[in-house]
Amino acid sequence: MTEPAIEATGLTKRYGGVTALDALDIEVPRGELYGFLGPNGAGKSTTINVLTGQLVPDEGTARVAGVDPVAEPVRARERVGILPENGRPPSFLTVREYFDFVATARDLDDIERRVDRWAERLAFTSKLDTLCTDLSQGERQKVLVTQAFLHEPDVVFIDEPLTNLDPIMQERAKRFFRSYADDGNTVFLSTHFIATAQEVCSRVGIVNRGRLLAELDPRELEEETLLDRFFATVDADSVGDGVAGDPSDPAAVMEAPGADAED
Amino acid sequence: MRVPVRYLFDQMLREEWRMHSRLFGGVRFALFPAFLTLLAAGTATFFAVAGASEATLLAGLHVVVALVGLQVGSIGLVGRDALENLLGDTTLLIYSARTLPVSERRLLFVFVVKDVAYYAVLFIAPLVVGTLPLVVLGSLSLGAVPLLLATAWLAFGFGVGLSLLFVGLATRSRLAPAVVAGGLLAGGVLRPDLAATLTPYGLFVDPTPAGAAVSVLLPLVGGAVGLRLFEFDRRTPARTAANQFRALHGRLRRVDRQGLLAKSLLDVARSSGGLWKVLFSQGLVFGVVAVLLGYLPDIVPVRPSPGLTLAAVLSLGAFTTYNWLCQYDDADFFGTYPIPLAAVFRAKLYGFLLLAVPAGLFYLGLGVAVFGVGSLLVGAAVYLPVSLYVFGVTAYVAGLRPTELLFDTPVFAAFTVAMMAVLLPLVVLAIAYPLDPTLVAGLAVAVAVVAGGVGYALYRRAGPKWTRRARAGQLDG
Repeated sequence: MTEPAIEATGLTKRYGGVTALDALDIEVPRGELYGFLGPNGAGKSTTINVLTGQLVPDEGTARVAGVDPVAEPVRARERVGILPENGRPPSFLTVREYFDFVATARDLDDIERRVDRWAERLAFTSKLDTLCTDLSQGERQKVLVTQAFLHEPDVVFIDEPLTNLDPIMQERAKRFFRSYADDGNTVFLSTHFIATAQEVCSRVGIVNRGRLLAELDPRELEEETLLDRFFATVDADSVGDGVAGDPSDPAAVMEAPGADAED
Repeated sequence: MRVPVRYLFDQMLREEWRMHSRLFGGVRFALFPAFLTLLAAGTATFFAVAGASEATLLAGLHVVVALVGLQVGSIGLVGRDALENLLGDTTLLIYSARTLPVSERRLLFVFVVKDVAYYAVLFIAPLVVGTLPLVVLGSLSLGAVPLLLATAWLAFGFGVGLSLLFVGLATRSRLAPAVVAGGLLAGGVLRPDLAATLTPYGLFVDPTPAGAAVSVLLPLVGGAVGLRLFEFDRRTPARTAANQFRALHGRLRRVDRQGLLAKSLLDVARSSGGLWKVLFSQGLVFGVVAVLLGYLPDIVPVRPSPGLTLAAVLSLGAFTTYNWLCQYDDADFFGTYPIPLAAVFRAKLYGFLLLAVPAGLFYLGLGVAVFGVGSLLVGAAVYLPVSLYVFGVTAYVAGLRPTELLFDTPVFAAFTVAMMAVLLPLVVLAIAYPLDPTLVAGLAVAVAVVAGGVGYALYRRAGPKWTRRARAGQLDG
């Protein structure tokens, strides 16, 4: 049997008195576009940071692309691509220089071909010689999406990849993520855009307060939408905390306990 | 409706306090003035007990607060991008001209006034209070302390005003600041007596109406002209550049496998001031020390070795180079690539050696022209290892965020104690140098070599320490 692309058992991470991850189990097979949904503070970014070796969990084990990210964080990051939620490309490098830097750090060759292909795909060819600090938010996001895929990793973690992209670029990016997974790679997509997850993901996990509450294939939903299921799941988890209630009231979800934890 | 200056001032003051106290924890930040008082009191006690010159200490105090003023005058004018690079996703009221009905110049004026008041009370006053041991143990009269506070504030204001003037000029012309700086330097060289008399320190030593008038008017006029001239950043078309990373990395490949050094050097070269800022900041240190060394014997019977004194102070000044090398980096950025933090610190070390060491040696060479060869050869032998010590200590205690973390009281205390542990013996040896140059030179080199070894060991430990902290999630907030 093939080893899953991402496998984690009992991941727990605490920041002082706040539990960001609470015995989280997750398994994502190869070739899947996995959507990771949750309200603010649910533990989505913490999960990505642990799975990519940026954070050490207090408890639990993980394997990503065949590597233990806790024991071998640098090797794990060689094997994966990462798009952080609040990333910024280096201010004083041009876009082309930044990709040269990424290629050097990742020991890649044939960088011009790779960059040209991405610049064409996301329409930023005219910005290649611009200093990153002078890019618009949308252009920065295109650059950050590109660096995550530049080395064509088997597993890629993307946190809110569509932020600041215009509708045309969003559509292109979504199609690309889908085709990238169809080619046998694994895309771990953390997002608040539930419609996007419903549209492109082959499986979705709903997380709240550091726990994985449910997993489902959004294409199998018949009567209800993924949004309905999301509210129902998160609200049920919040019963007794004084925030559950009408699923049509998004404020209840937004104020879920644990929102202080690192998102 | 016109927003009252007083209202803006109050809000900005609150904002400044919250920024510092949130970054470092309220109580820890509140301890900072107390720590500064203790530091100054410890130094004053040392001078009094050792029978060293009080005049040196008080002149040094004026120089230090003037340098703080220079820094404060320019820091308020950094762009929003620089602030975000330094502190993360942060913005301040000073940048709110686009969303509030307040002009940029009015916001800048209030911001500068707020900064002056803030630092005068929380930073300068505690330093002056710390000189009180001289009243008990030395010959400073209690009645002179209020005058000392006033002239220290004026020296601080002098730094702020000068800095504002230069920054304002620089937004209009690249040549103008150099011309003004050249004029001031020439004035200082041609009429050093006048320059000394008309500074706030001159006012402290010999209060005269002319000295008071100049000390008060100079910062006010300089600041006002700077603010008037300051041209606000209108977004210019996006800047472009040819690909220099590849060529630079090609040349450095042997020591820079992952391109980290090339990136750091480009960051320094392309940020405001370019590579010149390294030479300029060390030049400032050199100028101040050279003037003190040149005219100190006229005031007090002490003739410290120029080479050792310059080497000690220049190596401490090299801290700013480390700061610039790190200003545009953070651990989160490197955490998304297969880059160990130890490799990042190694690149910073190479960058530091490439920028700070030649700059320091250049000024030591200039010192030869001013003071003769003499002890400057010893200074050159001391400078390299002590610079390495400064690098190692800074990397170990402050990681990749030296500016930010050095405002954290415990970190700043550790940094200060570590610096004093090496610099104080060197200053004492510099004073003792004329007694037995050969012996003292040997001792100074020995102290420097041991310090260099400690610095290297600390640098080697910086990577594992900051990796551990980053992976434990202890770098935020």
